[in-house]
Amino acid sequence: MAGESWLADTFAGIMIITAAYCASRLVVSRRQHRPTDHQVDAVHVLMGVAMAGMLVPRLRVFWAGGWEIVFGASAVWFAWLMIRALRSRNAVRHQLSHHLQHVLACVAMVYMFLAVGSAAKAASGGSGMSGMAAGTAHYPTLALFLAFALFGYVVWTADRLPSLAPGAALAAASAALAPVLAGAVGGGDGDGGTVVAEENSRSSLRDDSPAQSGRRRSGAPLSPRLSACCEIAMGVTMGYMLILML
Amino acid sequence: MTSQATDARSRAGWRSSIGVVHEDQWTAPDPRRLLQLGLGFIWLLDAMLQFQSFMFSKGFPQMLAGTAPGNPAVIADPISFSARIIAEHGTATNAVFAVIQLLIGLGIAWRPTLRLALGLSVVWALAVWWFGEGLGGILNGAGSPVNGAPGAVIIYALLAVLLWPGRRPRSAPFTAGRCTGAAVARLLWLVLWGSLAYLALLPATNAPKALSSMISGMAAGEPAWLASLDNHLGAFLSHRGPAAAVVLAIVLAVVAVGVYLPRPAARAVIVLAIATATVIWIAEGLGGLFGGAGTDPNSGPLLALLALAYWPLANRSPAENPVSEPA
Repeated sequence: MAGESWLADTFAGIMIITAAYCASRLVVSRRQHRPTDHQVDAVHVLMGVAMAGMLVPRLRVFWAGGWEIVFGASAVWFAWLMIRALRSRNAVRHQLSHHLQHVLACVAMVYMFLAVGSAAKAASGGSGMSGMAAGTAHYPTLALFLAFALFGYVVWTADRLPSLAPGAALAAASAALAPVLAGAVGGGDGDGGTVVAEENSRSSLRDDSPAQSGRRRSGAPLSPRLSACCEIAMGVTMGYMLILML
Repeated sequence: MTSQATDARSRAGWRSSIGVVHEDQWTAPDPRRLLQLGLGFIWLLDAMLQFQSFMFSKGFPQMLAGTAPGNPAVIADPISFSARIIAEHGTATNAVFAVIQLLIGLGIAWRPTLRLALGLSVVWALAVWWFGEGLGGILNGAGSPVNGAPGAVIIYALLAVLLWPGRRPRSAPFTAGRCTGAAVARLLWLVLWGSLAYLALLPATNAPKALSSMISGMAAGEPAWLASLDNHLGAFLSHRGPAAAVVLAIVLAVVAVGVYLPRPAARAVIVLAIATATVIWIAEGLGGLFGGAGTDPNSGPLLALLALAYWPLANRSPAENPVSEPA
């Protein structure tokens, strides 16, 4: 990937931190039986690792090839979730836009891997991903479109940020939610049990007892605001990488 | 629990169930907020463009210094001075520029910092207009509506002022008039589009080959479809340059006075303004976004965003049309 090396290092560092945080969300969620969006967190972990490897080749600690298939499959999965939500009687706009954002991000990842791979092959005959310069990617208009879409989602997510529950509030909510979700929802993406879960969530968010305050301190890792910040960081980084390909 | 209540809660969505979104605290963006987000989007795009490799090279300060010639000394000397400083400290200065633009973009998008970011947007845009764009070429005769005059970045400042979230929004027939009032907003529109019409009649635009060479010159480094469009447009204008400049000036003048017309005619004029902005953007080669040397999307998208801010709204008082004010 072309660009200033210190800048690539910085963005790669942000991606590694983001991936580590999303991995911690998965662990905390599993250990404390607290609800989160497992699929999104898992894809964020993969995206963070993959983007860090693309930005700084020496950070490619896992496999070099095959990412296209991983993110292609993820794009299809999120597209399926979006279609299912569209068909659903209770479909809401946030749900659709949430899935659409992940479809876009996965498609952008596939595009970047294909573009970087083919450009590197054309340049050196090898399979490396480094050394790509501006204007060498195929279909730059698609890169621009994807960058626009991602920036649009970044702005949209930042606009919604104040309305998202901070970690402390969520910890309190999830303490009350855990038994309910264990019996009724059984996963972050479940549609069933939504009503009960939401009711408990809302009532817990209003609870300010000392007992709840004590629980809150352990809840920061699952903060929805931090999750949204991850999406913003990923969108900005992905957009930067796409802009470099124009 | 009634079935009605169940449906209502179900509609709130699965994300609410895990505490992600508090629908009861959320107010959907009104038209002004959407326009503010559009401005934030463009600042974010600018920031990412500013992070391109070219901006850290000697080419960037040379590009800035190139806007000085032809301007009065009082304008040109500070441009040359700042270009020299940027050339000496290219990495640091450009990184600061990009981060400022990133903060403005995200600051506009994040409601608690909206006012701060819009204020910074005005200050930064004015600084860039002078030191980065040489006042858009309006004083040195190089400015043309087709090359971004009177400076794309001055429209950022204008939008920031027009979209400022006042404590007591005024009643206005369009979004842009809610902060300054309709009369001032219309005057600003008239000055901007009127100046574009005037610039279209100057030699930089209406000389025989001016438009043609300007548009064809954008084709280098563009994707095939856009290069083809620009080359065809350039070829078409090669023998019709002065006439096309006059037509452009007339269109821009009609747009300039259009906001004073009754609502149906004003709507038609706004559509014409958006169409004109689109054509200008294509002629600008989408602002040179392709090729790694573009610093912004140029004036086309900004003019279109501005036009949307003047879209005549239905007759409703602010009390009937409550809007979400940022904290």
